[in-house]
Amino acid sequence: MTPLFWRALARHPLRHPWQLGLAILGIALVVVAVDLANASARRSFALAMERIAGQATHRIVGGVSGVAEAQYVQMRVEQALRPSAPVVTGYLPNADRPGQLLQILGIDPLAEAPFRHPAADLSGADFDIRALLINPAAALLPEALGEAVTVQHGEQRFTLHRAGTLRGPELDGLIITDISTAQTLLGMAGRLSHIDLILPDGAAGERQAEELRTKLPPGLRLERPDQRNQALADLSASFSLNLTAMSLLALIVGMFLIYNAMTFSIVQRRSLLGLLRALGVSRRELLIGVLGEALLLGLAGTLLGGVLGLWLGSALVHLVTRTINDLYYVLSVREFFIEPIALAKGAALGVLATLTAAWLPAREAADVPPGAALSRAHLESGWRASLPRFLLGGLILLAAGGLTLIFSLSLAGGFVGLFLLMIGCALLTPPIVVGLVGLNQRLTARCGLLARMANRDVARHLSRTGIAVAALMVAFSATVGVGVMVDSFRGGVAIWINDLLNADLYIAPAAIENGNHRTETLTPAALTALRNTPGIAAVSTYRAISVDLDGRPVVLIAVDLAPASQAGYRLIEGDAEAAWRAFQSGEAILISEPLAYRRGLSVGDELELPTDQGVRRFTIAGVFLDYGSEHGRILLHRAGYERYWHNPTVGSAAAFAAPGENLALLRERVQEQLGPMQSLLIRSSRAIQQRTLEIFDRTFTITQVLRVLAILVAVIGVLSALLALQLERAREFATLRAMGMTAREIGSLVLLQTGFMGAAAGLLAIPTGLLLASVLIFVINRRAFGWSLPLTVEPGLLLETLALAIGAALLAGLYPIWRMARTRPAEALRVE
Amino acid sequence: MHNSSAFIQIRRLTRRYLEGEQPRRIFTDLDLDIERGAFIALLGPSGCGKSTLLNLLSGIDLPDAGLIEINGCSLTEMNEAERTRFRRRHIGFVFQFFNLIPTLTVEENLFLPLELNGLISAEQRDRALELLDHVGLGERRNSFPERLSGGEQQRLAIARALVHGPLLLLADEPTGNLDAATGTRILELLLKLHRQAGTTIIMVTHSQEVAGRADRILTLDAGRIQELAR
Amino acid sequence: MSLHRRFFLTGLLVLGFSVALTMLLFRATPKPPESIAVGAALGGAEQAGYQRAYQPRPFHFPADHGPHPEFRNEWWYVTGNLADASGRPFGYQLTLFRIALSPDPPAADSAWRTHQVYMGHFALTDVAGEQHHGFERFSRSALGLAGAQAAPFRVWLEDWQLSGSATDALPMRVRARQGGIAVDLTLQAGKPLVLQGDRGLSQKSAEPGNASYYYSYTRLPTQGVVELNGRIFTVRGSSWLDREWSTSALGPEQSGWDWFALQLDDGRDLMFYRLRHRDGGMDAFSKGVLVDAHGQARGLRREDVELQPLGEWISRRTGDRYPAGWRLRLPGESLDLTITPKVADQEMRLTVHYWEGAVTVTGRAGENKIQGQGYLEMTRYPSAAGR
Repeated sequence: MTPLFWRALARHPLRHPWQLGLAILGIALVVVAVDLANASARRSFALAMERIAGQATHRIVGGVSGVAEAQYVQMRVEQALRPSAPVVTGYLPNADRPGQLLQILGIDPLAEAPFRHPAADLSGADFDIRALLINPAAALLPEALGEAVTVQHGEQRFTLHRAGTLRGPELDGLIITDISTAQTLLGMAGRLSHIDLILPDGAAGERQAEELRTKLPPGLRLERPDQRNQALADLSASFSLNLTAMSLLALIVGMFLIYNAMTFSIVQRRSLLGLLRALGVSRRELLIGVLGEALLLGLAGTLLGGVLGLWLGSALVHLVTRTINDLYYVLSVREFFIEPIALAKGAALGVLATLTAAWLPAREAADVPPGAALSRAHLESGWRASLPRFLLGGLILLAAGGLTLIFSLSLAGGFVGLFLLMIGCALLTPPIVVGLVGLNQRLTARCGLLARMANRDVARHLSRTGIAVAALMVAFSATVGVGVMVDSFRGGVAIWINDLLNADLYIAPAAIENGNHRTETLTPAALTALRNTPGIAAVSTYRAISVDLDGRPVVLIAVDLAPASQAGYRLIEGDAEAAWRAFQSGEAILISEPLAYRRGLSVGDELELPTDQGVRRFTIAGVFLDYGSEHGRILLHRAGYERYWHNPTVGSAAAFAAPGENLALLRERVQEQLGPMQSLLIRSSRAIQQRTLEIFDRTFTITQVLRVLAILVAVIGVLSALLALQLERAREFATLRAMGMTAREIGSLVLLQTGFMGAAAGLLAIPTGLLLASVLIFVINRRAFGWSLPLTVEPGLLLETLALAIGAALLAGLYPIWRMARTRPAEALRVE
Repeated sequence: MHNSSAFIQIRRLTRRYLEGEQPRRIFTDLDLDIERGAFIALLGPSGCGKSTLLNLLSGIDLPDAGLIEINGCSLTEMNEAERTRFRRRHIGFVFQFFNLIPTLTVEENLFLPLELNGLISAEQRDRALELLDHVGLGERRNSFPERLSGGEQQRLAIARALVHGPLLLLADEPTGNLDAATGTRILELLLKLHRQAGTTIIMVTHSQEVAGRADRILTLDAGRIQELAR
Repeated sequence: MSLHRRFFLTGLLVLGFSVALTMLLFRATPKPPESIAVGAALGGAEQAGYQRAYQPRPFHFPADHGPHPEFRNEWWYVTGNLADASGRPFGYQLTLFRIALSPDPPAADSAWRTHQVYMGHFALTDVAGEQHHGFERFSRSALGLAGAQAAPFRVWLEDWQLSGSATDALPMRVRARQGGIAVDLTLQAGKPLVLQGDRGLSQKSAEPGNASYYYSYTRLPTQGVVELNGRIFTVRGSSWLDREWSTSALGPEQSGWDWFALQLDDGRDLMFYRLRHRDGGMDAFSKGVLVDAHGQARGLRREDVELQPLGEWISRRTGDRYPAGWRLRLPGESLDLTITPKVADQEMRLTVHYWEGAVTVTGRAGENKIQGQGYLEMTRYPSAAGR
């Protein structure tokens, strides 16, 4: 291939780089950003875990409240178990910087030697270990926090002063204190988070671990931190998967747009290609030439997308970690880590997607016969002739997608099915567009010439409009699908939480509130005072503790429910009356739907739970609807909790007012009665519901962001496609002008046409989006989280989508109109 | 020479273009009268402004100075919308490159000016189809322009230019892109229609032979118009 | 053991505490404490707020076997020479140091919070195997992890501990284990308690208050077991207990010390510490005590003693140079003793480096040959590289 050949070929895309470039850029951007955000979150997590675990090979963990410190003393003094180190850790909000959680790592510096070695340069003059030990306000602070920091625990504030500096950005969210300070800060007097151990490798270590296990009192477990970390890391796996799926959706949209842009650039150069063929360029050379061109543009777009992706990713990582913090565990690190793998993956996907999407157009280019280029009309009739193939292909893909959904069981299978359906719908789009044009023909028969021309043009230019409409349709159906899913989810959660939180007041200790973790408990005195407060008709108590099921933490809630509270739980399996009766004994449990789904459990099965008395079997009396945790929750009657766990406590209580009580007054009374005993948070169910929905909305912020990104990519792509389509017709418009058509009329023609395409895409996006939503709700969410959601369709969302689609398409018409108004038809006519 | 009642009156017409920084005068203070029903051939070397004159006459282009009056209507005093309406109603255009609308069928291309003028009665349609028969494309009414030969395309273009009964037909080298025989046939067709409808025709051409068939031959050179004596 | 060494060790501890813990905590490359400017570190050790030893005080037992937390430093220092039935010799050391981080107790916000920290050094010398094993521990005096009490007598750092009866420190059980190295010994009263210095007040420099309260049991018949990498030896021998508490520091001109605790086979015990000047000379506050077979003690001043290092041993591990032996003469007693380490390398390579180990004594008392054994401590000898 000669340089001239390349030059001839390349001049076109170089003059119109935005068509293809934008689409590729969009792909790379989304893929890179999502990947990096995910990877950063994972990395933060790993760092946080490593920071806590250090060199420990094992750790002794307890139940809800950790490990009694006496256990450590006993092990250390009587069993001489070493190296061992006590750890008290938790998270506290930075009072100076709202929203920032700081990890408090309380250690015993005197036992610490073999365990952790933060990358801290402590030879500095400010390092004062004496202060660290004896001064309750001394801490090793990261450089970023300055000389002092104030943390908040409930209503209490503690100001910590620097007694040493932790250096390194990965330590930015970390505060190291003496264990005594950490206990005070975190309200963990007498308790440890865990005891770290270093056992030897190999058989000796195994033996020692076994021996240790037998010596451990009930309620304590020996575990390997890496296993636990894995289990914790798995917690958010489905969340990451969902994010990845969103970015794949953007990828599909992007591929359609690349295909569109490539096809378009080939079509525009048909005569040039024919000429090149006539001059002796072979079919193969042409194919390679066009693919090479796509590859170059793909690389350029990917590079740029990568750079923008980095920027976007650093913005997204905040959202991702916040969601993870809300839902799973606390990540204090919010660093943005640039993972080369993520970049490479983004680049590979960008280039691969480009080549895949460019393959068909390149083949088409190679098929151009030598000599005179085929006419547009010929091309268009070819397209029309292949409509049945589109129809057939689309139907086959739909069937394949449906079958995949039905017969696969995995989440991945669900995604495959979803994407088959999407592509099937996209393939069906051109035939449907032609059908719509036919339908429209009858409708516009009585309308003006312009309407008819606009309508017919869509079908006549099918090679361009079909793809554009399909791409727009895919993009908008994705937004409809995701939007409906989120609405459905929110609707389900709102109803669920409304049923569940039906008491008048909720009383909890003013403790750290982060996600599901609540360490403080309601004192018995406060509880008694609550029950005795005049105007309180009934009280339910709750205590959420974390139990390990096969190494995975699951929340167990020990409850003593007032009848009204009980009614708030919706049993979806099992005879409600019998279930509740069995439940009262404390020997039967109710499990949440996700738990039942994940473990294939149903009523009558038994579940083994680790209790403080060792492992006990509980019968499953019922399955309840629950969106509280994707990992499942277990409801146990307080009687069982008191029987099998040491030191039973109450975490929070719900109070029902006697009929006719003024709630505001009652709340004041409760505050008066209980306030002197304990610092409490007294909230109405409404407040909690609002908070729940706030967290819910925060969780889906990232989904919304990706959704908007997908729309953006689609709108930009479609804009460029329609733009090119209209600009190509400049001479046609000039002719019409010469024939006496006003600029305004031609403008209407353009707008009618792009508007029609937008409307077609928007209309088609609605059923496709609903299909997508159904799959997301009934297949993907079920498989990923195990919960069933009611399909809730907000008409507003559908209208919004339609409006957005038409709006984007109309927008795409404005520039050609503006340009046309600025060029004199005389000049356009002259150009050949 | 100046006739204040002529069908087309051009007075002191000036048009210049900017070529870079330098203004290029196409013509200055051009005066011309054309009688109703005349068949005018306009000769001149490339770039002398023949097409510009046609564009000015159709109101697509505007002069820098001067006056154009067609059938008593002052084109130069109309605004853009009025000029467009005037063009739509009273002017037909035939281009060197046919400029048919590729996505409309033969029949649709033909009906386009009628529809633009809102003339959609059955009678007019019949007349239009008659015209199509007349130009020999009656059998091709549902074809797309690309399926037609060059001569056929130009015949369709002529039919399209006349279908709404314009006062003035402007033809910009209608035979320039055709072989000699086809060109002759197109010229014959134009002459025939001219005689039948009495439409005033101004035709830009390079061909002396084509020009020879016209009522008057004007040459445009260096911004000046001259009438060739016959 | 000699007060100075305790004295010095504590000084070292206080000064080196931050360094030591930094290394502990963050596993920095262990650096010999010599790399820290001694004066600066010593000067940094706050003395204000603590009680100091200005004048002799009455001792009350068993109360004074227990801790004196109002003083900054305190130690219980046990060393001894042992042998099994076949005569296989062992030496051992178990020292528990109490260090106050502040004069007053901190806020009692958590059970872990305390200003009292304990450090333990435990060593076993296997003379036959020419091995010396030294270990170190730290713990805070909280939650029963470490501490000291007079009645019943008990001083412990996790499972390293000294314990006595409800009314007295003696007989004392000494237990310590680290991995396969352990001792479990019972120490019986041999001679009465000796008050060192001026009725128990041991002046370390001219500065008033720079002194300690110091008493010793110089001869404690010992029996029990020694465990060496899983092998258990039943042993007998003789131990020495030093008790000292103070809020003192080295004087600016004092650079280190050598401390001798010798038990002679004629029934006499000799303690002497030499405070070294930077120029190598002996400080005027160097002193000792000679206890006769009946327990009668006589103070020794610097002038009473002639000390001469014999040869040099260079630690291959730290590069520090120590005298390879000593000649100690008490001209007034016609004593001429040669002191030889039982194992050359008895260096304690812990957060603080020093040499402490079992020694053999040979020599003459007047015309008679005399033998004995004991413990020798040598501190703050600069490394070879440092010279």
